[in-house]
Amino acid sequence: MALLELERVTKNFGGLMANHEISFAVGKGELLGLIGPNGAGKTTLFNCISGAYPVTSGRIFFDGEDITALKAHEVARRGLARTFQVYVASGDLTVIENVMVGCFMHTRSRSRARAQAGEVLKDLGIHDLSTALLNELPVASQKRVSMATAIATQPRLLLLDEVAAGLNPGEIEEIMGSIRHVHEELGMTVMLIEHVMELVMKISHRVIVLDYGQKIAEGAPEAITRDPAVIKAYLGERYAREHGAV
Amino acid sequence: METLKSALDFSDFPRLDLVVAGSLAILFLIFPVFPHSSFAMATMIQFLMFSLYGMGWNTIGGYGGQVDLGKAQYVGIGAYTTTVMLVRWDIPFWFSMPVGVCFAVLWSFVLGYPLFRLKGHYFAIATIATSLVLKDLFEVWDFVGAARGLEISPIKFPPPDFLRLIFKEDVYYYDVILGFFFVGILYMNWFRKSRLGFQLRAIKDNEEVARSLGINVHWAKIKTYAIATAFVSVVGSFHACYIKNIEPEDTMSLDISILIALMAMLGGAGSLWGPIIGAGILIPLKSYLKEWLGATAGLIGIDLILYALIIMVISAFEPRGIWGIVQKVRRRRQ
Repeated sequence: MALLELERVTKNFGGLMANHEISFAVGKGELLGLIGPNGAGKTTLFNCISGAYPVTSGRIFFDGEDITALKAHEVARRGLARTFQVYVASGDLTVIENVMVGCFMHTRSRSRARAQAGEVLKDLGIHDLSTALLNELPVASQKRVSMATAIATQPRLLLLDEVAAGLNPGEIEEIMGSIRHVHEELGMTVMLIEHVMELVMKISHRVIVLDYGQKIAEGAPEAITRDPAVIKAYLGERYAREHGAV
Repeated sequence: METLKSALDFSDFPRLDLVVAGSLAILFLIFPVFPHSSFAMATMIQFLMFSLYGMGWNTIGGYGGQVDLGKAQYVGIGAYTTTVMLVRWDIPFWFSMPVGVCFAVLWSFVLGYPLFRLKGHYFAIATIATSLVLKDLFEVWDFVGAARGLEISPIKFPPPDFLRLIFKEDVYYYDVILGFFFVGILYMNWFRKSRLGFQLRAIKDNEEVARSLGINVHWAKIKTYAIATAFVSVVGSFHACYIKNIEPEDTMSLDISILIALMAMLGGAGSLWGPIIGAGILIPLKSYLKEWLGATAGLIGIDLILYALIIMVISAFEPRGIWGIVQKVRRRRQ
């Protein structure tokens, strides 16, 4: 059964159609990639799913329940967590305190939240950053903290918004390990927006491609790399030559 | 049980802080024993009162980052509830004070629900407006004495009266407010480590992120606003018995609202000690400035000029106030 199901989801900003009748399903235990050029409506779609934006039309189901009209915090409490692309923080909270806020979704006890947060940080290999302030950290670390905070809410579905953007190859390798760990060891269903093709094509079971707010392709990574529409809209001839056709 | 343990647990502060705080606590306890002027005593009581106001403000304004400039209306609700209940029906302080808290909290829900749809400056302005409107209403409401206010007559209620909190000597008031002060610190020590405390700090950091972590941002703010209000209302009730003569102008004026926010910001918004540090600096300064300069013509507004200056300096250099500077220095040293 599908964990997340979108039914003709449309989002307009005034006259601008950010998402147009997008339908797809994410199965339990799947690792799904969402790609497409800048401005294709990927983050908007995440915002619609997570309840940050109300949709213009269409319906969204999470684990069989219609969550279309729910607010962001209600969606989060049902087990759907997300990270943010740009993480603006005033720097009031340390890393572990940030993660604790996520843990507090399931417990009132501070000691339990602290213990859980410590475990999540250890899991992602950033335990040594515990007492640092978020705004003092390099981007790569901030993204992992954002991921840790989302994971701390113990979601069933994790939406990752460009967690690898701006990272060097070594860091991408690390974050890929983290995503795999979350998916395999913690058993979360993962959906990720990503521009880093090495990452998304390597770990996704299935990839969905958006362009100008519409879904133009959906399928296994190998098939997507060969899809002429995707090559034209996003990947480009060179990528296809180097990865797909060979 | 865990709540109490958490309230009594100050172990995350460095040793130096605890020594300073402990010595000050002892100093406050034995202060009445030492020879002191009645002026010094009055200043101390004011300091403790404003520390409590500041602690209350600090929940929503400091940890939650919602600059509230309308706390005076809740001082008024507390003060008026206690005075009216005492003067009209002879109901003592210890009963009227909780009733005042209920009224104030109820009113805070009525206001908080729509007001927290606003953000930043708009929220601040709206709190000022509501507070001023309530003050104007009280100024024309005959039942509560309108602009003349109400008086608690010492002839009708002869001191000392522990139930009604009517005393002749200030030292009794000092002891009562000092008790509230310590309870307030313990509460705040629990609050800052509580789930709500963490959620508020997350809200202050980034509301969108807070929402994505399952926090009902609007409700968390309303709840916290009610807590802040309860603090202020309790002290307002105390203020009524202490001053014994209240009128809208001196319990609900804009000055009080601003002073409350300013002290917490000067000391360090969003920290346990901030409001106390702020009150410790501003209240003596205000009292003594008034004493020295107040009577001199042309210098009456000098305290206001000073407040304005402080606001500018804080916002330009260190939004986290004095405590923020202390923490910065400490982090650098590590």
